[in-house]
Amino acid sequence: MSGLELINFYVIPGLISGSIYALGAIGITLIFGILRYAHFAHGDMATLGAYVALGLVGSLALSPWVALPIAMAITALVAVVLDRVFYRHLETRPKILTVMASLGVALMLRSVVQVVWGVDPQVYSTGIVRAESYGGLMLRSRELITFATATGLVLFLMAFLRYTRWGKAMRAMSDNPELARLCGVNNEAVTRLTWVIAGALAAAAGFFLGINTELNTMMGWSALLAMFAAAILGGVGRVEGAVVGGLVIGLVEELSVLVLPSQYKMATAFVILILILLVRPQGIFKGKVL
Amino acid sequence: MNPVLVMHQVRGGYGDADILHGVSLTVNPKEIVVIVGPNGAGKSTAMKAVFGLVKIRDGAILFEGEEITGWKPDAIVRRGISYVPQVKNVFAEMTVHENLEMGAFLAKSVKAEAFERIYTLFPDLKAKRNALAGSLSGGQRQMVAMGRALMLNPRLLLLDEPTAGLSPKYMEQIFRICRDVRDTGVAILLVEQHAKQALAFCDRGYVLATGSNRHEGTGQELLNDPEIAQMFLGG
Repeated sequence: MSGLELINFYVIPGLISGSIYALGAIGITLIFGILRYAHFAHGDMATLGAYVALGLVGSLALSPWVALPIAMAITALVAVVLDRVFYRHLETRPKILTVMASLGVALMLRSVVQVVWGVDPQVYSTGIVRAESYGGLMLRSRELITFATATGLVLFLMAFLRYTRWGKAMRAMSDNPELARLCGVNNEAVTRLTWVIAGALAAAAGFFLGINTELNTMMGWSALLAMFAAAILGGVGRVEGAVVGGLVIGLVEELSVLVLPSQYKMATAFVILILILLVRPQGIFKGKVL
Repeated sequence: MNPVLVMHQVRGGYGDADILHGVSLTVNPKEIVVIVGPNGAGKSTAMKAVFGLVKIRDGAILFEGEEITGWKPDAIVRRGISYVPQVKNVFAEMTVHENLEMGAFLAKSVKAEAFERIYTLFPDLKAKRNALAGSLSGGQRQMVAMGRALMLNPRLLLLDEPTAGLSPKYMEQIFRICRDVRDTGVAILLVEQHAKQALAFCDRGYVLATGSNRHEGTGQELLNDPEIAQMFLGG
């Protein structure tokens, strides 16, 4: 197999699914860092985002790319409401209760999607899109847009966290919540902001998963393990870690097909998760130890 | 001269148990007041009570004549009191400069002079402004914590054992900075383990034991009191 084949059939798909995992993992890592619990409904939140975009494409005949930002905004709003209704009042109880509640929310979101849109796989647009050759690199425009949009969202988020007043407040809350409160940081506002970001990015992850393959109601749930593995690999609470972790998991999954039967593809994320917890539980970028 | 802070017969604690059984103290403007006493005397609790971190069941706390009993910490910060906890008092994963910015979080926009004022008080920090607070030595972290607390121009600074775990050299430096801060017009109330050194440098002191007042006076008076020397200072 030539180098170009390796890149076209393994590395590029790996980077695409890696960017998608990264978008999901950022939300997971932010929620873990700031609110201190594992959010198991994150995958199904991504599914919901993907189907909301499908709904907009179907009912308003929008281009999928126009539907994306609207779906992100709607899912962000849903995330804030879910927090209000299901997670907020568990705040003072042991965190494991919120984790279990999120498992329930996951089932609920998936059921809503199944009731509204049905259980059959669907696509945003029919027809075959041919890959174009860029000096031997075979790329589809949707792949380029996926990669560019994911990169743009990550850079925007990092700049927000680094330079803005509320971005700093989010980092402070993740770093030292007691002291952040002593500084007058409003816990509720930071929580709401965290959900807006996590919900919007989850919707983007679901949308890109759907546009690069197909939409089905289990898509988010199936990607959840890889997203968690990415967050933990990079270091919990670290946005840059979630990005690197996502890309590594995506690449390893695709490349594993070279040496393992392809039905083990999903298991590789699990193996990486176990290895990192054994060898370096704080992750690549020294996040919080679980 | 009206006192900055008055605690009058404060009783309270965490949960249902009382730790403070009627503590009274006063801090006047431009004064460094130290609370000393044996372990478990309620020193830190008395200070946290001022900052709204303790459930107060009886008594009153007045700041500049206004009753602030039962206020929430952020309201107290706005009113002009800053608090430096004993441990975990910096944002370890943020830079020194960002720590100071967080200190001024309630102030929407921060003027450059505010940072200059802090960097003048703590010249060591200016060179380290872009270093992560978690990478600094214990003494420098304490300076970051104090700098953060001073960003909003408080009239009263509460310090919980600022010299705990520091070398004698840094202890001297922290005390010296406390005097500099006081001279800029900020009253300071601090809790100290190093009773001898603290009483020697403060303006006035209170000795607490089992959650109540035992002795009070100027630092020198307390140091010269043979009973206190025996009880708390090891003879």
